[in-house]
Amino acid sequence: MSDAEPKTGTPSAPQVPELQQMPLFSPARAWAIARNTFTQMVRMKVFYFVLIFALFIIGAIFIFGRISLDHELRQIKDVSIGSMRLFAGLFAIVGTALLIPRDVEDRTLYTILSKPVPRFEYLLGKLLGMILLIGVSLIIMTAFFFAILYLRQVGLMEEQIAEAIERRGNITPEIRESIEADIRANGVSIHLLGAVLAVFLQGSITAAIALLVSTIASSTLFTVIVSTAILFIGHVQQTAREFYFEGAELNIGLERFLSAIVSILFPDYQIFNIYDGVISGEPVTTGLMGKLLGFAVAYVAVYLFAAYLFFAKKEL
Amino acid sequence: MPSAVTIESMTKLFRVPFRKERVTAVRDLSLEVEAGHVYGLIGPNGSGKSTTMKVILGLINPTHGRTTIFGRDSLKVDSRMSVGFLPENPYFYKFLTGAETLRFFGKLCGLSKQRINERTEELLSFVGLEDARNRRLGGYSKGMLQRIGLAQALVQEPQLVILDEPTAGVDPSGSRRIRDLILDLKNRGMTVILASHLLEQVQEVCDRIAIMYQGDLVREGPIEELISIENQTEIILEDASPEVLARIETMVAEDAKAKLIRRGNPRTTLERIFLSETSGEEADDKS
Repeated sequence: MSDAEPKTGTPSAPQVPELQQMPLFSPARAWAIARNTFTQMVRMKVFYFVLIFALFIIGAIFIFGRISLDHELRQIKDVSIGSMRLFAGLFAIVGTALLIPRDVEDRTLYTILSKPVPRFEYLLGKLLGMILLIGVSLIIMTAFFFAILYLRQVGLMEEQIAEAIERRGNITPEIRESIEADIRANGVSIHLLGAVLAVFLQGSITAAIALLVSTIASSTLFTVIVSTAILFIGHVQQTAREFYFEGAELNIGLERFLSAIVSILFPDYQIFNIYDGVISGEPVTTGLMGKLLGFAVAYVAVYLFAAYLFFAKKEL
Repeated sequence: MPSAVTIESMTKLFRVPFRKERVTAVRDLSLEVEAGHVYGLIGPNGSGKSTTMKVILGLINPTHGRTTIFGRDSLKVDSRMSVGFLPENPYFYKFLTGAETLRFFGKLCGLSKQRINERTEELLSFVGLEDARNRRLGGYSKGMLQRIGLAQALVQEPQLVILDEPTAGVDPSGSRRIRDLILDLKNRGMTVILASHLLEQVQEVCDRIAIMYQGDLVREGPIEELISIENQTEIILEDASPEVLARIETMVAEDAKAKLIRRGNPRTTLERIFLSETSGEEADDKS
């Protein structure tokens, strides 16, 4: 390219495109948007939050280890899963709330939608990117959580065996086995992954809600506030539903209808509340996980479709 | 050969929040852009240029009327395979590098991995950003952003490019580079729709223009036709002696109808002087 005069030369004949049919849906395009969304979040340094998570767990060991040796492992699990829920919720709401308003503000949305990208694919890509981010964050947090839990589990076994030897002079293999089994029951277990998966599914639903709100809202702040309110309602809706519908004199059909409407508008997060059981060492069945997965897919599909209905008509 | 763009009786009304009345952004607009032409859309702010472009791109639906791109309804997503768009003051994703930006848009257009790599190299070279390929867009100057914007608009080799104020906020040198790129696209047989407030530039590059005002199309036609003063003739002489000039003036005076309106030295442009002084380039027009 020259800085001087415009390029001249023999002009070519006018270009006219050949007629091509485009597939209605392209997973590759949606995946390109998802990967780009993930990269955007990573380069916004959201993974620094994982460091804060690490500090939470280390803090929990420091505080609870001194208060109650017996319940130390339980407290680590409690704090870790609680922190994961908090961070997954934060990523889902704040991260998703930023996506569409920022694309509109920077006019990036114009350049994307002026390419052969259907609006549904754009929304799906954005949501998949956020879900990917929540998933990767949870994998990193879980790895750290399991590493810390395992180290404390081994440490506690050694401490308690040493304590028993000091108290009794010597211990039989059966006693040693019993101490180890007690501690192992509260330590690292495959069932903890069930709780992590429940956090992930809940985070994915929250991201879908934030996406829906951001297609209607005109500001990031509004999306954050409304999505947080829905998150809160989702946690208490089961209790509220029971209270109102059981007390009111409604016939069964109407009660079910209203109950279904409320359940769709506000997700019932209590369904996913398997955390206390898992922390106490209860097993998680495949059937339960399948049920949670089914609920989550249904909720995400409904919210994504609703988001599309609003976004398809949006004047950019 | 189908026209690159046809707009038939297009009207766009926007709702005013919490009110019944609606604002007319574009009123009953009909125009046709021939393939291979550079078409200028000019008009003051709020005249309906950007709305017209957004309707062509399917970003907004017209209230009435129809728009086609190479014969296809512009509301259909597949019509966008043949269009590239550079919006006014684009920012893109600041976290991506120049090369990553082009790859991202290439993927959106469904290009193969190999084609994306080829197009990325070609376009970075075309817009002169090879050296900035691995820099994030957050560190690009305004002119560089406009050029990477133009490159992304061309990634799928569209036959039509729509440029909304491509030189807004760009210094004269960058502006001239963009103008050269537009002329280059024209030489390749591409159709360009250009909206700009830089009327001098529009005049330089466009074959045909439409002037919009308050949502209406007020003038339209080939630029040469619109700007020529039909009853006047211009003769530019080089190194003419005073005697030659005097003879011409005498001949004109002897004619019953002809009248000499003005005589003097033609002027160069401020842009040429600026570029000559700031880039070491020889002023190529000394007249």
